[in-house]
Amino acid sequence: MFARRTVARVVAQPSLLAAPSNARNMATLREIELRLKSVRNIEKITKSMKMIASTKLAKAQRAMQAGKLYGEANAEVFETAKEGATGSKKLFLVISSDKGLCGGIHSSVTKATRRAFNNAPDSPLPGVSVEPDSPVMVIGDKSKAQISRVYPNNLRLTFNQIGRDVPTFADAASVADLVVKSGVEYDSVVIIYNSFVSAISYEAAAMEVKGEKALKESEGFKKYEMEDDFTKDLAEFSLANALYSALTEAHSCEISARRNAMDNASKNAGDMIGSLTMQYNRGRQAAITNELVDIITGASAL
Amino acid sequence: MASLRLATSAARRVPSLFHATRRGYAEASDKIQLSMALPHQSIFSSTDVVQVNVCAATGDMGILANHVPSVEPLRPGVVEVIESAGGSKKWFISGGFATVHPNNKLTINAVEAAPLEDFSVESIRTNLQEALRVASGNGTEEDKLEARIEAEVYESLQHALGSK
Repeated sequence: MFARRTVARVVAQPSLLAAPSNARNMATLREIELRLKSVRNIEKITKSMKMIASTKLAKAQRAMQAGKLYGEANAEVFETAKEGATGSKKLFLVISSDKGLCGGIHSSVTKATRRAFNNAPDSPLPGVSVEPDSPVMVIGDKSKAQISRVYPNNLRLTFNQIGRDVPTFADAASVADLVVKSGVEYDSVVIIYNSFVSAISYEAAAMEVKGEKALKESEGFKKYEMEDDFTKDLAEFSLANALYSALTEAHSCEISARRNAMDNASKNAGDMIGSLTMQYNRGRQAAITNELVDIITGASAL
Repeated sequence: MASLRLATSAARRVPSLFHATRRGYAEASDKIQLSMALPHQSIFSSTDVVQVNVCAATGDMGILANHVPSVEPLRPGVVEVIESAGGSKKWFISGGFATVHPNNKLTINAVEAAPLEDFSVESIRTNLQEALRVASGNGTEEDKLEARIEAEVYESLQHALGSK
């Protein structure tokens, strides 16, 4: 009697759970299959994005190197004319872009702007106090969204559709033109951009370009002879040059960050595919084993 | 501090000779450090050269070592760089700024530049006709002004190529 009861119980349990657990396994098996398919698609997408970013990176880096040399030649004047009016009104020009999926590029410049405004010790403008009502102009929709949440009253102008391809001098010149024509008063423009440290790292940096008035008041600038007063032209041209240099470097940083982000995403997707496949196979084998157990116990009960 | 200026404008400044000149016009043994950069290419990067002739807006000028610090806007024209005695290269630039710094450095930022050999006389002539046509046409004032500037650049190019 004991044997019969235990046998009955042993038989009963699997059969009680067999149908629902089989059903549950089938349901989860289907779910796992769907997830596997979608993760495989995502992996293909991120892999191809990484490929595209790698090919774009070579061109962007070449442009960045030329742009940096151009910017260094341009900055020589400001090296000599370094001493200038302190407590000057600074116009912040934040460089980012419209596209995402590039890691922390956009938040990096936004955070740097915040640190500058808060006069934090790790501000990109060390030791310079920034007035809370300093005007801010943003290039790129992603940073515009972030900054308009933090400093909505400081925003004056925003630019977009820049950064889709390698920036040209025409882009920089038109932005500089609009900045000057906007009528916003400033003594110097502080360009906040991401500077290229290496292929896997970047950091936010600031470039200061003195405006016409600040240049004239600077002691170092007075050493330069000019037949007529070209200071205004020089200030505008230098702004375009510095902007070009910063734009190319920021573009290069963005592409390399996107490449790294997509690389990590592909690796993660690959890991997920591995673990999901294991889960799927285990589930499949468990379902088969359960069916076998049913059949065998059913057969042995006869 | 000696500077050689061949100016086309009548109003001239007297070059100041009150600095302790250590050398005369003939000795060009010192070199000036030239950095000539375009947005997409760097032609010279801190290279020592003997003399640079630039087409400043106020007139053509030659810049030797230890030139007085000055800022010169450049008009569309020819920039000639003499690297060592005898060798010189010419570029046509679209415009920019040339700055001589107090530490014997010269930086030229130009938007576009190309060696004179790379220009085709035919294309210049056709484009000049086109620009003159637009300049005297009936477009907006801005278009006509742009076309006039374009025509000036082409004329300057023709002059540069003609007197190569």
